[in-house]
This record gives sequence, C-alpha cells and structure tokens, in this order.
Amino acid sequence: MIKRFYILSLVVLTVNSAFGQFIGRDGVSKALFFLQKNELDSAKKYIDEAEQDQNLTSQSKTWYYRGLIYKDLYKAYQKDDKTSPFRFTSVESLKKLLSIDTTKEFSESAQKMFNYLASTFYNDAARSLNPQTYKTSEEYYNIYKDLIVLASAPTDFTQQDIKFKLALASMLNQNLEKQTKKDSLKIEEVKGIYTEIIKLDSNNGSANYNIGILYYNESVDIINNMDYDMDLEELNRCQDVCTDLFLKALPYMLKSHELHYNLKETLIGLANIYHGLNDLEKEDFYKNELRAISSENENK
Amino acid sequence: MKKIVSIFLLLFLLTSGFRLDGTIDTNAKIKAVFIYNFTKYIEWPQTYKEGAFTIGVIGETSLYSELVKMTETKKVANQTLEVKKFISPSEITKCHILYICRDKSGNLSEILKKVKSNSTLIVTEENGLMDKGAGINFVIKENRQKFELNKGNVERYKLKVSSNLEALAFTVK
Repeated sequence: MIKRFYILSLVVLTVNSAFGQFIGRDGVSKALFFLQKNELDSAKKYIDEAEQDQNLTSQSKTWYYRGLIYKDLYKAYQKDDKTSPFRFTSVESLKKLLSIDTTKEFSESAQKMFNYLASTFYNDAARSLNPQTYKTSEEYYNIYKDLIVLASAPTDFTQQDIKFKLALASMLNQNLEKQTKKDSLKIEEVKGIYTEIIKLDSNNGSANYNIGILYYNESVDIINNMDYDMDLEELNRCQDVCTDLFLKALPYMLKSHELHYNLKETLIGLANIYHGLNDLEKEDFYKNELRAISSENENK
Repeated sequence: MKKIVSIFLLLFLLTSGFRLDGTIDTNAKIKAVFIYNFTKYIEWPQTYKEGAFTIGVIGETSLYSELVKMTETKKVANQTLEVKKFISPSEITKCHILYICRDKSGNLSEILKKVKSNSTLIVTEENGLMDKGAGINFVIKENRQKFELNKGNVERYKLKVSSNLEALAFTVK
C-alpha cells in the first residue's frame, strides 16, 4: 500500500512539473517550448491557438513564430508537395509580421526565411514547367519574385524573367511541335511570351528567331492543309492570310539574321519566307549566303 | 538556386525553335490548286474526256512532285489524273495541260509547234508569254500568285473557257 502511494506521488509530481512550466504562459511561449523540443505538431497546436487570441495577434513574435513553425512543418512533412498549405501559411504569417514589426526585431530572421521559401517556390516553378502545370510554374515564379523582394533590397529581375519566359515558351513550343492539329490559342500564347521577351530585350536572338518561325509555320500549315479542290476565291483569301503571316515573320527573322543567331537555320528561314512571298531574288540572295557559309564550314 | 537556374537553361537549349523543313514548297502547292481549278473551268473536246487526264511538265520544278501528290487523291470528272515530265520539247506527247517552267520559257515557240494539233492548255510562269502563245500565265502581284488569261490562245486549241474563269483572272486578253 505504501509502495503504491509513493509511485502515485511520483507520477503526480512529474506531471505537475511538466505542466507547471506553462502556468501563466501564453500560447506563443508554449509553442516555442515545443518547437525547441522539435515537437512540431504540439508547437502548431499552440501557435494556432495564439493566432486566435486577440491579445497575441498584435504582437510581432506571434507571426514570427507562426512563420517559423509552419516553415519547419513544411520542411518536415510537405517538402515534396508543391501545393503545401504549410508553406503558404508560413509566407502569409511572415508577411503579416512585416506589416506590424515596427521595431524590426525579427526582420533579419524573417528575411532569411523569405529567402529559403523563395528558393523552394523557384524550385517548384522549375519542376512545374511542363504542358500540364505551366500555369502553376508561372504563379510560383511570381511568388518567388515577391518573396525575394521581401527578403532583400529591390532586385532587377529582367535577366531572370527572360530566362524563365524563354524556358516556358520553348517548352510550350516543343509541345506544339508534337501536335498534328495545332492549337491556335496555344500558338498565340507562345507568340505572346516571345513578344514579352522581345519587349524586355529586343536583341534576344532566340525570341526573334522563334516568333519568326511560329508565324512562318502557321502560314505553311495553312498551305499544306489546303485541299486541291479549294475554289479560286477561297484560294485568294487564303493567300492573303498566308502572305500576311509571312510578312509578320519577316522582321523577326531579319533581326535574328542581324544578330547572327542560329545563322544557318535563320538563312533557311529567310529563304523560305521570301519564297512564300514570291520574291525569288531575295530568296536566292539568302540561299547564296547559306551556300557560302556551308562551304566555309566545309573548308575549316 | 544555381542548380535550378541551370535546369531552366538546359530546357531552353534543348528546345529552342521549330525545325525548318527546306523541302516545303508553298508556291508549288498554291499553283497545284490553281491548276486543278483550271480543269473545272475549261472544257476539253469529247475525245479528250476518255482515258487519263494528263498534265505534262517541261523543265525543273517542285510543282511536278506536288502534282504527282495530287494524282493520289484527285480525278478530273471520271478521268484519273497522271503527270508526265518532259526534259525537252521533242519528248512532249499528248497532254491536256502542259506546264512550261521558267527555265524552258525560251523554248515556247518550239513547244507550241509540237502541240499545235492537240487540245492542250499551255500554262507558263514568265512575264510576257501571254503575248507569245501561252493560254494561262502565272504572275506575281503583291507577293501573291495570280494568273493572266489569253482566251484566244486557249480557244485556238479547241478548248472552251468558262466566263467564271475570266472573272477570276488578274487580266484577260
């Protein structure tokens, strides 16, 4: 009997000492206690409670630790989940922190977390760059940029934007090539991306070349799909459309030529465009240039 | 971060651009559509409505292979289509349509002598040949293929021209 009493007393004492630490402490402190012990589920429970407590929501530390705990939860449980709610909660909490942290007490640590989270969104943007999820890729790339801005001084994203848009357009372009029946809306979308690149860098060879090829191919596809039975009035209308497309392709290919981008293919493109425009003199001019560089390469 | 940047670059390098196919001849396809239409607007004598409908091509042109492709799917009324290639005027045999390429334009008078007893529509692609005996001549106007029609030259070979074709021609003589 005495032995049982001693055991029970020991248990009560142990439990009391564990919970005793919490007496008078707020949800954030409790969450921090468990965070330090790497017990993330318990830390989450208390920080979520703190987020509901009006006395705590005005305090920077609430949002800082919420951002930190959810970032760790993301790392622990959802690192491979591109849609991870933990990561979004972390971002949202840290943004809230920035809006109320007038003393800048947590700024430096928050910036480090923004940097980390930004890199995860960047990685997921790259991983999502495929025909099915490219919209997510664009969305995550934009989140990445937002977070980098929050993490540090204003950054010039021009070169990164160009790289991203080129990768995006190239991926969509490659997918279009595989389709036997071309999706005209997709073609327009890809053209739009290349146009955006050219606005950022008018001397971008790849964008100029590719948009030229898109217009050229569009015209060729129309001609290839013509039925021999097509009546002459319809044929004339088709010629108008195709001529317009060849004319649209031309300035981009000329620019690509000026930039010496992908020179051999550009010369073939220019010769073909002028052929489509029935300008045989200029077609021959570019064919001759192509022959000249081909023989130069052979002699090397 | 650098690792991911290189993924973007790699993707870009692997996929930039469409491959241009130098074998596509857009003008040949358009001319083939024109020529097939001519068979609907021109009437050949009864004796030419039996057997194969023959399109002859003299000279070097990618139109020849386009016309061969056309024979795989098209007929002229009940007549199957066939395409013959001639290297020189002496090789020319009976055809419904004879297409004279630019490189053989200088042989026009010799060719006309060769076909004078036939009902052949003479089609050319060189400026000025309308006045030298061609029935139809392809011309370029504002980057587009058009055709000129010399009704007299067509009818000389006992062919009838529909007024609809006259209306569609760029110029009619």
